[in-house]
Amino acid sequence: MAELRGSFGEARNHLLTRWFGTEDLHRLDVYESKAGGYTALRKALLDMKPAELVNEVKTSGLRGRGGAGFATGVKWSFINRDAPGPKYVVVNADESEPGTSKDRYIMENSPHMLLEGIMIAAYAVGANQAWVYIRGEYDGPHRMLVEAIAEARAKGYLGPKPMGVNYPLDIQLYRGHGAYICGEETALLESLEGKRAQPRSRPPFPAVKGAWGRPTLLNNVETLSTVPWIINNGGAAYVKFGTEKSPGTRLMSVSGNVRKPGVYEVELGQTFRHVIMELAGGPPDGRELKVFWPGGSSAPVLPASMLDTHTDMEALAAARSMGGSGGVIVMDDSHCVVKAAARLLRFYAHESCGKCTPCRVGSDWAVRTFDRILANEGSQVELGILERVADGLQNGRCLCGLGDSAGWVIDSTFRHFREEYEDHALRHTRARWWSRRPSSSASRSRSSATTTSSTRSAPAVSAWSSSPRDRRAHRQAARRRSPKEWW
Amino acid sequence: MSTKGTSDAKDAENGASKGPSDAKRAESPHGTNALPEHVLEEIRELPARYPQHRSAVMPALDLAQEEVGYLTPEAMSEVAAALDLDPGYVEGVATFYTLFHLQPIGRHRFYVCTNLSCSLRGSSEIVEHVKKAIGVREAGEVSKDGLFSYEEVECLGACEYAPMMRLDHEYYYDLTPETITALVVERRAPLSAAAKASRRRTPVAAPDKAPPKKRVPRTKKIG
Ligand SMILES: Cc1cc2nc3c(=O)[nH]c(=O)nc-3n(C[C@H](O)[C@H](O)[C@H](O)COP(=O)(O)O)c2cc1C
Ligand code: SF4
Ligand code: FES
Repeated sequence: MAELRGSFGEARNHLLTRWFGTEDLHRLDVYESKAGGYTALRKALLDMKPAELVNEVKTSGLRGRGGAGFATGVKWSFINRDAPGPKYVVVNADESEPGTSKDRYIMENSPHMLLEGIMIAAYAVGANQAWVYIRGEYDGPHRMLVEAIAEARAKGYLGPKPMGVNYPLDIQLYRGHGAYICGEETALLESLEGKRAQPRSRPPFPAVKGAWGRPTLLNNVETLSTVPWIINNGGAAYVKFGTEKSPGTRLMSVSGNVRKPGVYEVELGQTFRHVIMELAGGPPDGRELKVFWPGGSSAPVLPASMLDTHTDMEALAAARSMGGSGGVIVMDDSHCVVKAAARLLRFYAHESCGKCTPCRVGSDWAVRTFDRILANEGSQVELGILERVADGLQNGRCLCGLGDSAGWVIDSTFRHFREEYEDHALRHTRARWWSRRPSSSASRSRSSATTTSSTRSAPAVSAWSSSPRDRRAHRQAARRRSPKEWW
Repeated sequence: MSTKGTSDAKDAENGASKGPSDAKRAESPHGTNALPEHVLEEIRELPARYPQHRSAVMPALDLAQEEVGYLTPEAMSEVAAALDLDPGYVEGVATFYTLFHLQPIGRHRFYVCTNLSCSLRGSSEIVEHVKKAIGVREAGEVSKDGLFSYEEVECLGACEYAPMMRLDHEYYYDLTPETITALVVERRAPLSAAAKASRRRTPVAAPDKAPPKKRVPRTKKIG
């Protein structure tokens, strides 16, 4: 395995990562003997009632780490444990949010911690069968889970009588096949059912009608991996970490222009200055931090001036962003925000499932507009289009969160980096060869910024007098001049 | 389109230079079927593992893809028949997911991450270098020897090791042009350990027939 980059070892705030880095921690015997593994499962099955488990998680105040931050204990209590028929626990291991690698970090280092969490959750909500939906590209973590499940079966922890208790448990793996949208909970369920992964409209919520029409508990890998600690130490101990409304710790994968990228376990309520500058070592020598995404690419960006924002969800909401998936992408001043936004929009356009129009059409439209701006063909019109598209993608106009995320990228970069957009869209316009056309045509919307610099030297031809062929040639020339490389 | 052009060229080349496995392919060990009987058998056993048989479609397509190298229309309809599903439905699923390939791909495929974190750490140079090292001009094009192709993909969830990529079911971290060159050389060497270790059972080559012509372009859009 590659060298570990991130948190491990003894520290006050290392609840999950305390034993990471221990040799062979992925093996069941090591997990049990060194890391005190499966004590929580034993306690849950032998000493606690399912309702007590749910209450313990409620007391802990644990909130989902997959993106939305919904209270986990409350989610567990939505499932009617006594309803007849099968119920399922589905684990969201489809981590594909750009900038996020924490679930991989957990599964590679301590797969049994995840399995233990899943088993406790299954017992708490009355499910006998759990499914781990793991993204198809994660071959390594998949292998580890396969081995871990085999070990747990051999040991009897999975099977008809785990720990001697008459409560059959089983965990199965299901591999995704490369679609970001499968991370969205209802799309994941569709995919698990063998369909195209297009989100369902809610209600009914998965807790009522989830996988194969049955009540389903859907949680993220990190959320479930935290559960054994909570059961071992009690919900009240968990609340001692973090802030009042966002208790505990979370894994933040810091990537991009930092000296020590890695997955760090951070007590919620710490500042991003601590995370980016201290844990991850800050930007490389001679560079300044420019902007960071605090919770994966879907979380609205924050400029360097907001580095002292706290990591808890309330503070982030106040800063008009969100905790999201905990992936912190850091960009230094040698990179361009517009290009970064354009790259992310390409991602969202590519991953849009196509079910609803604002997202399907809007994201493509934004990509084309960004392309024009980056090819030095931008103007105020393009900026207007971007703003309109961003608005059209947000505020519940789309069925799922992907549309909102795409809108937020444009919206937040506009909010904090308006000048950079204008610079990109307009500076080239000024230098464009047709900027010396007679001022009578200045009323055309494209030109508002161009007429001011008519004194600049420019070829004597006017665009409006030349043939369409000439104009096309000039456009192509402009494209050739524009940087081919994105970065 | 150049992709089509190259696969035609590759056809001719395969006809000319038959490696041992190509010869096997030419005499078509499984008759007219795209999938051999043991694979179909495996596929028929899949539905029992799921509460509803539909869920077996992706694992089944996986098996088919591993066998043939990519999903031909014939392979997809055989999967559909084995699972008692509509062929159109199976194809609809296959077109949605990017890890199902509907065109011939290289035996070793580079999935280079070009999302934000990797781009910030130089993935575009890596892509350029991959292109040069395997001798192709664009994503999806298969190198002349049929061994390589590459694809630019979205975040692979290992951003702390950027720039990174996936190749032959492994992740490769902290890429430099040198690592790419080394990986390519290793895989070019005939019967190298890496080639043997490759999971694929049969080489990925274009079918003896003309390549599928009127495939829908691979996109997730429905509109
Ligand atoms: C477009 C989109 C992508 C998502 N991707 C993921 C993902 O990759 N992993 C994940 O755990 N949750 C993802 N989510 C959040 C899930 O929908 C869901 O809220 C979460 O898995 C619930 O688990 P939790 O309560 O433990 O956080 C995504 C949501 C949206 C809208
Ligand atoms: S918002 Fe986009 S990804 Fe989500 S359902 Fe609509 S089209 Fe699909
Ligand atoms: S951006 Fe490349 S692995 Fe995440």
